[in-house]
This record gives sequence, C-alpha cells and structure tokens, in this order.
Amino acid sequence: MIARRRGRYALAALATATALLLAGCGGGTGGSPDPAGELTVALQFPPRADYAFDADDGARLQSLGVAETLTTVDDQAQPAPMLATAWEQEGDSWRFTLRPGVTFHDGTPLTPDAVVTALSYVAGVDAPPRAIRDIGFTVAADGPDVVRITTAEPDPVMPLRMSSGNLGILAPAAYAGGGAPAYLRNATGPFVLDQVDGAQSAQLVRNEQYWGEKAGAARITVRYVEDPQARALAVQAGDVQFAEGLPQAQVEQVRSSGAEVVEYPNARTVPLQLNQSRAPFDDVRVRQAVTAAIDRPVLAQQVLGGGAAPAADLFGAAVPWGETDPPPAADPERARQLLAEAGFGPENPLTVQLWTFPNRPELPTLANALQAMLAEAGVRVEITVGNYEAQEPEVLAGNYDMFLNSRSYLSDFPDAASTLTSDYTCEGSYAIDQYCSPAYDAVVARLNTTVDPAQRQQLFAEAAGLLTTDAVGVMLVHPLNTAVLRGATGFTPDPLQIEPILPQLTPTG
Amino acid sequence: MIGLVLRRLLVVPPVLLAATVLVFALPRLADVDPARAVLRARSAEAVPDPATEARVRASLGLDASPVEQYLRWLGALLRGDLGYGYVSRTPVLEQVGGAAAVSGLLAVLALALAAAVGIPAGAYAARRPGGRLDRFLGAGTIAGVAVPEFVLAPWLVLVFAVGLGALPAVGWGGPQHLVLPVLTLAAYPGALAAQLVRAETAMVLTRPHVLVARAKGLGEHSVLWRHGARLATTSVTALAGLFVAGLLGGSVVVEVVFGIPGLGRLLHQAVPAQDLPVIQAGTLLVVTVAVVAGVLVEIVATLLDPVLRSAVDA
Repeated sequence: MIARRRGRYALAALATATALLLAGCGGGTGGSPDPAGELTVALQFPPRADYAFDADDGARLQSLGVAETLTTVDDQAQPAPMLATAWEQEGDSWRFTLRPGVTFHDGTPLTPDAVVTALSYVAGVDAPPRAIRDIGFTVAADGPDVVRITTAEPDPVMPLRMSSGNLGILAPAAYAGGGAPAYLRNATGPFVLDQVDGAQSAQLVRNEQYWGEKAGAARITVRYVEDPQARALAVQAGDVQFAEGLPQAQVEQVRSSGAEVVEYPNARTVPLQLNQSRAPFDDVRVRQAVTAAIDRPVLAQQVLGGGAAPAADLFGAAVPWGETDPPPAADPERARQLLAEAGFGPENPLTVQLWTFPNRPELPTLANALQAMLAEAGVRVEITVGNYEAQEPEVLAGNYDMFLNSRSYLSDFPDAASTLTSDYTCEGSYAIDQYCSPAYDAVVARLNTTVDPAQRQQLFAEAAGLLTTDAVGVMLVHPLNTAVLRGATGFTPDPLQIEPILPQLTPTG
Repeated sequence: MIGLVLRRLLVVPPVLLAATVLVFALPRLADVDPARAVLRARSAEAVPDPATEARVRASLGLDASPVEQYLRWLGALLRGDLGYGYVSRTPVLEQVGGAAAVSGLLAVLALALAAAVGIPAGAYAARRPGGRLDRFLGAGTIAGVAVPEFVLAPWLVLVFAVGLGALPAVGWGGPQHLVLPVLTLAAYPGALAAQLVRAETAMVLTRPHVLVARAKGLGEHSVLWRHGARLATTSVTALAGLFVAGLLGGSVVVEVVFGIPGLGRLLHQAVPAQDLPVIQAGTLLVVTVAVVAGVLVEIVATLLDPVLRSAVDA
C-alpha cells in the first residue's frame, strides 16, 4: 500500500515538473512593433577593457549603436559613408569629407578638430589598434569639413580601415581628462550610452536627435551573460527578448519555445595546420592525403551538430569573395594511394602529433573526429590538448606536426590582406604552416598597390585558391553565428560584424 | 583563554606574508609572458610584435626584476593601493571589493540557509533512526551532496524561471536575483550539515546521560536540543569555517551560470587574461579569509566544547 502511494507521489511529481516545463513554452515573436517600448538583451562578450578603443571593446561601442566611425561597409564589403560622406586619395594621404549636421550626444557638433582629437588619441596609445598600427598614421584638419589622414606609404585601403570599431569618434570633451576617453553620453550613434555597470550591464537610450534612421526601441538594457546555456534559458524564461550565441544543442529547444533563431555565417575558419618545414608535411602528397581523408560535411553537420558550414577554402560565405560551393567528399582510397606514393603504408605507418587547445570547446571534439577519419586512411594521430599560450611559440618555431586552430580571417575591417600576409607569406608573423611560395607572395604583393575593392577581392580569392592547390592546410569548417529573438523583431545579420546590431531591434507588443 | 586567542592570532601575519610571496610568484611560474597575454586579452586575435610588447611591458612595470616588482607591489598593498587592472584598466580595489561584497552576501545567505534547514532537519531525523523522516532526509542529503552545482543550477532555472516564470533566469540587482543562486549554493553545505548533525545527534541520544535526563522527565524537545544536537554544533562550526573561504572566493559555476558579478566570476575572467593585479588581489583576499576563518573557527570550537576548553584552561 505504501509502495503504491509512493509511486503515485512520484508520478504526481513528474507530472507537475512536466507541466511546469511546458508552461514555459509557447509565446513567440508575434505582435506588432512598438517603437515606444523597451528591450532587454543578453550579449555574449562583456567589456573586458572598460570599452577601450584600443582593445576589442572599441568595436563593442560600435555594435551597440553608440559610437560611429568615419566609414562603414556595404554588403559587398566595400566602404560606405558613415560620419564621412566622401573620400579621395592624394598620394600618401586620404581626404575624408565629414557629414554635415551631426552632433555628439553632449550637443556639440562634429568637426574636423573633433575627429583629429579622437583619432590622434587612439593612434598614440601603447598598442594602437591593428587597423592603424605601424603604418605611420597621422591625422590633421584640412578645411572646415575635411580631415586629411596621412601614412608613411600610400595606403590602398584607408576607407576600409576607417570602418574599424576601434576608430569610433567621441566628442572632444571625452578626451579632456587626459586618460582613457569618457565614453558615456559622448558619441554620435542612434543610442546614447547612458549608464554602465562594469562588465555586468549597460543602459542605452534612443538618440532622438540622431542624423540617420532612429533606433527601433526607446531604451535597451544590455546584460552581458557569458554562459551560452544561461543565455538560452534567459530567452526561454522571457527575461530577455534578444540573445546572441546559442549553444547548438539548445537551438531546437529554444526554437520550439516560439523564439526565432537566426543562423548566419561568421568570418572565421577552423584550419588543420600542417608544418611544412619538416617531414612528413613537407611532401605535398602527404598534405593532399590528409585533405582527402577528412570528411568536412560530416564534421560540420554531425560532429558539430550543424553549428558550422563545411569549408572548401580559407574564405567562406561571410565575405563576397568567399567560396560557397561545398568541399569535395572524403576519399580515403585516394588518401591511401597518395600516402603510398609518399612512402607510407602498412609496412611504414605514418604517426603524427596533433596539438590543439580547449579555449574553443569545438576544437577537442573536432580533434577526436579527425583522429578517427585519418585512422581510416592509415594515419595514426596522437592528440595533445594544451594551453594555447604555451603552444604558440612552439608552433611558430615549426616544432609541431599538426595544429588545430581557429582563426578570424578579417582583422577589424573587412580586408583580408592582413591575414593573407601574416599567416601565409614567407616572412609572415603568424606563419604557422611554415608555407613559403614565391608565386603566392607575388599575388599578395599586388595588394599593396591595388586600390579598387573589387580587384582586391579577386586577389583574395586567387591567393586562397593557391593555398587550396598547394594543400597548405585543411580548411575544415566555418563556424556559424546564432541570434535569437522572442518579443522583438528587426534583426539583420551582418557576417562582417560592422553594422550595429541593436538599433534595428524593435519590441513587439 | 585570552592567551589561546593571542597565540592563534599571532600566527596570522607570518602566514599572510608567506601567502603574498606565493600569490605573487605562482602566476609568474606559469611561464606565460604577461605583456603578451595582456595584449591578446585586449585584442583577441592579436599577433603582438616585439616593439609593441616592449612598450606595454615597460608601461606595466614588468621590465623590473621580479624581486623589485614584488617589493613594489607589497609596499603598495600595505598602503592599501592595489593599482589598476592590466586588462580592464580600472582600480583593482574597486573591482575586487565590489565582487567580494557580492560573493560575501551570497555566502552569508547560503550558509544561513544551509544551517537553518540542515541543522533542524538532521536533529529531527536523528530522533528515530530508520524512520520515515530519516529515510527521506537520507535520500535528500545524498542528492544534495551528489548533484553538482552545474547540474542543479540549470535545473532550478528550468523549473522556477522557464517553467513557472516566478524568478529571473540570470542577472543581478533585486532580491529576486538572489533566490536561485542561494538555493544552489546552500544545497551542498546544507546536506552535509544535516548528515553530520543527524549522525552525531543519533549517537548522543543513546548515551547514559540522555537516558538519565529522559528518566528525570525532561521533554523530548529539550533532550534533543540541550543534550543531543548541541554537541553537533562544534562539528557544524568547523564545517562552516571550511565553506566560508570557498564561498567568499565565489562559486565560479554559480556566478557564471547566473551572470553574477562576484569574485569567482572576476577571477574566472582574470586568469585566462593574465590580469596579474586582479588575480593577485583576488587570490590574496581568499587566502586571508581562509586563514582568518580557520583561526576563528578554532577559537569558537574551543569555546563551545567543554572538554577542549578545560584542556586549554588547564
């Protein structure tokens, strides 16, 4: 009797728990837009450097819709007007004409002197942003509405550099203190940064005097939530109406709660890097064998559960010049044949070390899948998961076999010259693959004098094609970004991560 | 008794001085270049060049010898100057002080809840070993001890925030944000306290002096609390001492899952970023609390336990 009663209690408890969980489902993105409403959003990366422009945090003020730059980029990754409306090159200088009628949040007007103060500050710090580092950057007023930016050598991509979020322009008063600029209520964007609570939260208020299209919400509370599971639960609980970066395992659950989940490309590649300064990967046949042995669609769809797209090339769908055709299927038979040609087989098996690091949780998972795929082709892989900081000097010195890395191929502004130079030229500062090809270097060298964005993009694709032909490494997958809306509308994905996210969001009643 | 307290307190300064040496030296023994790490923390995909590294190293005072750096840091520490974080570039005192206050509040509430629930539950379960309450508590405390925070926290969110919509899933600010983190943090010490009190009380209740007390007509309630559970308080006090430092150090899991700006989350961010001033100050605070709590627990335990007290007095 007691046992039966206990069983009924257990059933009742289970039913109650199920009812509670189901009660949390439902809802959705329906309802009409309410521009007078407010939103709460959960963002992935908290400010680590107090919104400093010389750190990644600078781009955060841009993505919030608070600070603006001289230029932005269009959907073809070409420079487009922002605080500057026109630009022209004159030898080693570029002249930028400022947009008329722009005022800072403190009410002062945008002037050439204000731009000079802002850009001179960020160019003068210990470690200036990569967009303007080591190019002899100087800026001066050149008339009532023009600034002149000069570099040591003629620079073909200055309008693109100026779209970097690190180069946001604040009012002169922000720099009056002598230290880091005071970023509250001093920018020009569609949102006024009204209040900040460290790395915890921020309050944004719509800028009613904005020179462009007004923000969709009257006020936004930004919460920085690092744990991906917590962000997903916060959306389901209705605590927030927008969140970025969902864990792949929870996408379906969040979608079934009535939320709109958007997945879009990310300008990042996970490459399997192969050390070409020594055997066995100094032999292109071994590199081609490894490429043939790896099933990239399986890695993207099954191993990473659809959280990435299979990579056919260094560049993917996030950029206009990226390769969007799927990579060839795995061909273990061809891999074994190439290995045999290179002198490896059952009598002389190939054993290699694979190093990776756990900071990006997908990497150890991928390493295990690679081990299994390469074993099919007869390559024995020994995996070491360690600290990236300790591994970096070793891999840069060429003391490794295989290195599973994760790399953004755009550094701060949508031009790939920096990555193509640092990672793959003979003298590159981050040339982990130890690849050195005069033909490749010649293509990259042409970028120094190519101003036309379309021609530059052709050269990027050509350089990436050479890397694929030479099997420099295996470009495995391009991770996807995710965003989720529940109680808001208007999200427009920007794979280049230049366009601000929040001004487009509108609450739905 | 005063002699005992003084003897115990005199141990604290040399232990803390030794702790400062360890706290200063350990991150540096990890063979990571702080200037390089700081550059990377400020800019994730940076490939720092030697000239920039040298400028940053000099600006952070990292080009001095380790001994000079230590003495400079210790001198500043004694003046109450913790400097600025390498990465955040905001005052360390502000960062660590604010975070410790948050973790401290959570710790106090969690321990209070653990004691308020665990001690009576254990004591009442001990009245009838093997009875229904005892078996129910046994199962509950095994779950409380065995279920880790990273499992319990999402489950509580799923039920109370997603399911019932009664509490916020993440965030920090109002009293409603305290409930789920405190429940999560209290589960383990509460279950452990209940197990401890139950075991000790059950044992004491079988002793002759309790039988005598009962025979004299003392009520069950009085027997339980005056003779039974009272002795268990010594063990529970020692247990609380153990938990104080850990909880004030902040539960990384709970603070990250609930998005709470406590010391655990601060150190969780500072360690990979190699933000040495923050790591040093945070770790030293936790060590100090651990040492001081250890000494205080020892003193309190002596005061509570008549046997120990008479040994000291003798």
